[in-house]
Amino acid sequence: MSTPRVETVTPTTVDDLRAAVLDRPGTIRLAGAGTAADWAGTPAPADTVLDLTGLSGIVTHNPGDMTVEVHAGTPFAQLQEELGEHHQRVAVDPARVAEGATLGGLFATADSGPRALQYGSLRDLVIGATIVLADGTVARSGGHVIKNVAGYDLTKVLHGAHGTLGVVARLVLRLHPTPQATVTVAVPCERSGSADLARRVADSPVEATAIQWHGSDQGDRLLVLVEGSESGADARARRLVDAVGGELLAPDDAGAAWEAHAASVRARPADRAVFRFGVIPSSLTGVLDGLEADTGGLTEVTTSPRTGVATVAVPADADVVAAAHRRVADAGGTSSLRQRPAGAELPAFGPAPPSAALLRAVATSLDPDQRLGRGRLAPWIPAPTGVSA
Amino acid sequence: MPERTMEAPHGGTGSDAPSAATPPAAVGPELARDFRDVLPADLVITDEVGRRSYECDGLTGFRQVPALVVLPRDAEEVAACVRICARHGVPFVARGAGTGLSGGAMPVADGVVISVQKLRRILEIDVENRRAVLEPGVYNLEISKAAQPHGLYYAPDPSSQQVCTIGGNVAENSGGAHCLKYGFTTNHVLEMEVVLADGSVVTLGGPTGEQAGPDLRGLFIGSEGTLGICTRVTVRLLQTPETVRTVLADFPSIEAAGDTVGDIVDAAIIPAAVEMMDSLSMEASEAATGAGLTVDAPAALIIELDGPADEVEAEFEHLTAICERHGATRLHVPTEAEERQKVWKGRKAAFAAVGRISPDYIVQDGVVPRTRLAEVLTRIAEMGRDAGLRVANVFHAGDGNLHPLVLYSESAGEHDAAEKLSTDIAELCVELGGSLSGEHGIGTDKACSMPVMFSSDDLGVMHRVRLAFDPDSRCNPGKLFPTPRLCGERPGKYQPHPLEEAGVIERL
Repeated sequence: MSTPRVETVTPTTVDDLRAAVLDRPGTIRLAGAGTAADWAGTPAPADTVLDLTGLSGIVTHNPGDMTVEVHAGTPFAQLQEELGEHHQRVAVDPARVAEGATLGGLFATADSGPRALQYGSLRDLVIGATIVLADGTVARSGGHVIKNVAGYDLTKVLHGAHGTLGVVARLVLRLHPTPQATVTVAVPCERSGSADLARRVADSPVEATAIQWHGSDQGDRLLVLVEGSESGADARARRLVDAVGGELLAPDDAGAAWEAHAASVRARPADRAVFRFGVIPSSLTGVLDGLEADTGGLTEVTTSPRTGVATVAVPADADVVAAAHRRVADAGGTSSLRQRPAGAELPAFGPAPPSAALLRAVATSLDPDQRLGRGRLAPWIPAPTGVSA
Repeated sequence: MPERTMEAPHGGTGSDAPSAATPPAAVGPELARDFRDVLPADLVITDEVGRRSYECDGLTGFRQVPALVVLPRDAEEVAACVRICARHGVPFVARGAGTGLSGGAMPVADGVVISVQKLRRILEIDVENRRAVLEPGVYNLEISKAAQPHGLYYAPDPSSQQVCTIGGNVAENSGGAHCLKYGFTTNHVLEMEVVLADGSVVTLGGPTGEQAGPDLRGLFIGSEGTLGICTRVTVRLLQTPETVRTVLADFPSIEAAGDTVGDIVDAAIIPAAVEMMDSLSMEASEAATGAGLTVDAPAALIIELDGPADEVEAEFEHLTAICERHGATRLHVPTEAEERQKVWKGRKAAFAAVGRISPDYIVQDGVVPRTRLAEVLTRIAEMGRDAGLRVANVFHAGDGNLHPLVLYSESAGEHDAAEKLSTDIAELCVELGGSLSGEHGIGTDKACSMPVMFSSDDLGVMHRVRLAFDPDSRCNPGKLFPTPRLCGERPGKYQPHPLEEAGVIERL
């Protein structure tokens, strides 16, 4: 085996990207801003790193259509800022946006934030894509209109693909109007009581955009985000306080509360690994209690009691992480490993689901030599044997 | 490969179809015997009359009698049927209620129709977690009916919701009048059990939106039965909105109505629904329903807001002010639920009602970017004039989804011109940056137009994915992808379902 000499290529157009994929033999690792470089499976050493941050900027934005086409390497925060000038937004809010994450990176890692309760993740907002396959094929799917059922929704298969299967070059997104007002209600609450409280919030007519539990310096509490018109959002938030208690946070306090929440999600605590999972909401408390016992104590805990998704930090120990994956799988959920100490050999995913065989077949059809992102979805897509990386 | 058979309105199958009296040679008696080993004999349909009742879906111009029809009763039986098809190497077409409008459930001559109409159990309404677990043959509206006592409902509401199945909704990624705000089937399905072409059973998706690995669930939804059959679907349920407000607004021109929609969007209001009708469609609908539409108004909007009372009241005031600013000639605000339903009936019965003003017509489905609505309508009017045909327009104005109705007379020999105009309109939508279909699907009907919207590379990659799921292309072959054999003939006229004519169901 020769000594690997990794070269980084930074294309600035889709044509460049295609040329880079075609011109470079061997394996390719995709890179964006690097905010999730250690998520999912540990990449095998690659011959080339394809830096997608050069493929940046809005391609077309027609505000009246509430859609935008964007190069995948665009920093998400920058995109939101430009859209904000038109009082529009992409209605997702993953924690690592603040660290400079790119649109393509958020998409490839299937990341989402508190607003997933109402808006889902990027998979729910992407209406079209241009992708480049390992053999240089450039393919589009979807289009520029929100309502469109022509052809396969191919874009979806790259959501959560972690840089395998194909390179996302451009995405077309549906936009939402920026709400006039955003109000946060904080209700003090132990984690053990968060499920019941969150259900009472959900059963009220306020239609919260996000409901998150967070244990922080400010105490353990449920944060409820209410978005809408100037008068409406405020009135709804007050009705909520009447119904379930707590208080409306002043704008600065609300900003600080959500910032602290995001900081927990993207934290890199020493000797710990960040474990993200989703289970049916009614199982969330039980699974968290089990993980608490298994791991000797969870830290950086944020939970979304109404969606069943939580992010926690556990000891960076292979057995502990494997046990955590098993516990979530036993509850019928899904889990993946996020931030972890450099060099830690930890299992990224839980037991392979029955659909893993199908996933391998799809991977074989799109990237038969596993040139892209090799190792990212191991062990579900194992690295090919007998091929040097 | 499917045979396409063009039928005269009341005629028999065309000459290129295999004899319907006996199953084609490729499907021998062993196949039926194998099915009878896993199903009671009366659930394996081999007689001609029985098979003929499955010859088409809601697009009645495409007909093909299948070799066999099977009616499994649960997921295990579906998987067993698929395995038998795999063993014999025969294609199969999954079928829900057969209400699709693109020939997506049209049978294959030497293949099997696997109907899920007996898988009709609602397995669970989980109030705490706000989800429902369903067998694929459950009617869309039954989900909301079952959830309603708990203050919950299922959001996607395709216009045929009384008679279309959730399994069909998954295949087509169905939307509905309210999808502008609430999204499509793909946004509401969490998890599915799917039988693949080889008979293996896999679960796609999971109990939450949280994904570990690529989103195969999203790929499967909207694949029009070409990747497998779903046998169990878990959907999200939403809380019934506190308030619903509806306005029917007449406008002096289509442009004024279109500008109103633009200003509503600019005002950061996302209505639950925004529907537009032109005078021709209102004339037809009013004659059929007496819903209170103003037949001499050039255009009307039906706009609905829903949500928390505090928001809706303020937004509704803003909304009516926008309508007035654009010269609305009448604002009708129904106050009672019954009155609101009457307005909706006027909208929903429009397709079938067009039969009152034209002997024959074709329903088209295309999408343009919302800001190009006025442009596309002008072009459609010009194209109609050139073709010497009238076109009525009914559409979901909020998302640019058009349903032009091409009126013609079969007896006057206008059929071919009408079909050409209809296809040209769908392809015009693509030219204007839109899509061939917003909700009816590609199926058999539009497979030949796919190269207008997608390059051969685009389609090639889709096909590679198809082969990963179904290496022998036995799941619903001949649909969605253009094939030389398929592309040479044109679809027939639209024939409304009897329930549709009565205004009970509608195709928006």
